[in-house]
Amino acid sequence: MQTLNLPSHLDQSPEVAARFSKLKSRPVILDVKHLNKTFHTHTTLNDISLQVFRREFMCVVGPSGCGKSTLIRIIAGLETPTSGDVLLEGTQVSAPGSDRGMVFQGYTLFPWLTVKKNVMFGLEIGGRSPVESESEARQWIDLVGLSKFENSYPHELSGGMKQRVAIARALANNPRILLMDEPFGALDAQTRCKMQSYLLEIWKRVDVTIMFVTHDLDEAIYLSDRILVLGTNPSRIMEVIEVPVPRPRSSSQFLSPEFLATKARLEELIHGTEEAEPMPLPKIRLTHAGDDVE
Amino acid sequence: MSKGKKWLVPFGTLSEPRQLILLWISFTLPLAVWAIVSYVPFVWHPLVKIDDPGDVSYFTRDALIERTTFKAENAKLAASGGHIATGTPANPVFLPAPHEVAVAFYKSFTTPPKRKGDKWLHESLWQSIQVIFWGFLWSSVVGVPIGILCGTFPFFSRITEPFVDFTRYMPAPAFGALAVAVLGIYEAPKIAIIFIGTFFQQVLVIANTTRKLDTSLVEAAQTLGANRRQLLFRVVVPGIAVDLYNDMRILLGWAWTYLIVAEYIGASSGITFFINQQAKYRIYDNVFAAIIIIGIIGFTSDRILDWIGRQLFPWQKGVKKSLLRAILDRRRNSTQNTETANANA
Ligand SMILES: Nc1ncnc2c1ncn2[C@@H]1O[C@H](COP(=O)(O)OP(=O)(O)OP(=O)(O)O)[C@@H](O)[C@H]1O
Ligand SMILES: [Mg+2]
Repeated sequence: MQTLNLPSHLDQSPEVAARFSKLKSRPVILDVKHLNKTFHTHTTLNDISLQVFRREFMCVVGPSGCGKSTLIRIIAGLETPTSGDVLLEGTQVSAPGSDRGMVFQGYTLFPWLTVKKNVMFGLEIGGRSPVESESEARQWIDLVGLSKFENSYPHELSGGMKQRVAIARALANNPRILLMDEPFGALDAQTRCKMQSYLLEIWKRVDVTIMFVTHDLDEAIYLSDRILVLGTNPSRIMEVIEVPVPRPRSSSQFLSPEFLATKARLEELIHGTEEAEPMPLPKIRLTHAGDDVE
Repeated sequence: MSKGKKWLVPFGTLSEPRQLILLWISFTLPLAVWAIVSYVPFVWHPLVKIDDPGDVSYFTRDALIERTTFKAENAKLAASGGHIATGTPANPVFLPAPHEVAVAFYKSFTTPPKRKGDKWLHESLWQSIQVIFWGFLWSSVVGVPIGILCGTFPFFSRITEPFVDFTRYMPAPAFGALAVAVLGIYEAPKIAIIFIGTFFQQVLVIANTTRKLDTSLVEAAQTLGANRRQLLFRVVVPGIAVDLYNDMRILLGWAWTYLIVAEYIGASSGITFFINQQAKYRIYDNVFAAIIIIGIIGFTSDRILDWIGRQLFPWQKGVKKSLLRAILDRRRNSTQNTETANANA
């Protein structure tokens, strides 16, 4: 492979380094302190501590079952930690609240509400007047480019459109942090690509911090400022990578040396631990001897 | 028409004309069987209706005699040289022919009851419908909220469901005597039986339906800041509305089965009483007419409820749009569809 002549993912250009020092000088939005989560006897999260800065885009990656969803659900308040604290702008988090928006992998639009009513949901239950929520909802629907569909029901939309509505619905509440658990996981590659650039555009325009769980390493590098790599057996934070790829990002950077170096490091971290067990040979021979593929 | 497509496609859909054909067959087929048994003399017809009694002492005109008896008597007469009896093959009184039922159907609304003080068919029916209506309404007023609470909060589920489950195995009729003692002999105990028969099932069925609600919708609402009350009224209730509505349709069907019992207790009344009265008089045409009317009422009311359901829940996938809605939506969609391709990211 090309790894031989790749730079280290730690090498940052002066612009990128300046960006990171600026980022870290911003106030801490989310402060996770010594978080532990045990299901029955299985320790899913073990002493997780991290800080996310205001307007940061952080991705969370790690092998399946390492607790990415659990971490994000605890931050959302949907799950209670066994021990440890989650502080949002210095305030302890214990239950779900409108200050933390969430976009799930499955489509969670309310099927009985139109696109507009879905986006208005958080505003209305937050006590805004119907007129006010409607005009505000319209702006968010505009932002995700779905004004033509404001009166459609979710089942009339494609998967990508549904997730855009879900993003608009979460952002309409003006959350301090947007939590996303594999939001594009169910989309086809092309739609996924478009959604990623969409999300970056939205993030640029809105004062929001994003924590984004994904399986897709390219997606993580493309989107993030920093990438949180979780490990399993034992559960731990393996590394927090500062992505050296400069912004604004574009798909042409996928082959840039910084990008490839970061990806190589991520793969080393994740697949290095996920030592594939040798598969047992099947007892029955399914192909003819002469047909072996390799 | 779906030309060339097979009729038997697993989980497939049938074209509209085919659906209509099958609907038509589903009713005409049983009717045809009934007509054949009634009108084709050599199919079944175990009796003989006497036209001319001949020399048989106990035969009278229009009497229904077993075919074997009829043949035996005639054989005896033929041997002794007497006047032979004649007759036509006939079915027992409890199987009237379709046209007889049709006539009775018409007459039951136009001729007064046989005995003074007996109810007309439509009066009996109206009584029954009222009993069902009130029994089902009271059961729903209490049962639906309890069911939803049980499905939403494990607290309510634990505190009510074991007892409800226990009571549900006691047959509603067992409460008949008690209901009469407490509520008198008129409508009240009958309504109570419908209530008891429906209520306990209703709580359990609706609690289950509520539990089947997609929890991710609840979680989404929570992350949008919904409190407990808002979750209940803005997520749980609309979220289960479609299933709840269909449950209610099924439960209403069950309520009808309790009617038979309800109308037997206290002062007998209603359609069940009418049917039994007519059976006692051996006017089976009326019995069939009444049974068919119940069927018609049940079937049409269910169709109507189905139609209302489709108007109420326009967000359902695959819901057939009413003509009006289809016309209204066509305008909006024609502008949208052109955009779909571009916006479909
Ligand atoms: N409610 C629960 N009860 C019991 N165990 C759970 C529960 N939720 C999660 N777990 C366990 O915690 C571990 C981490 O789960 P989690 O869903 O957070 O992983 P993940 O990193 O999101 O995985 P994936 O990448 O497959 O989504 C898994 O081993 C899972 O079995
Ligand atoms: Mg997960």
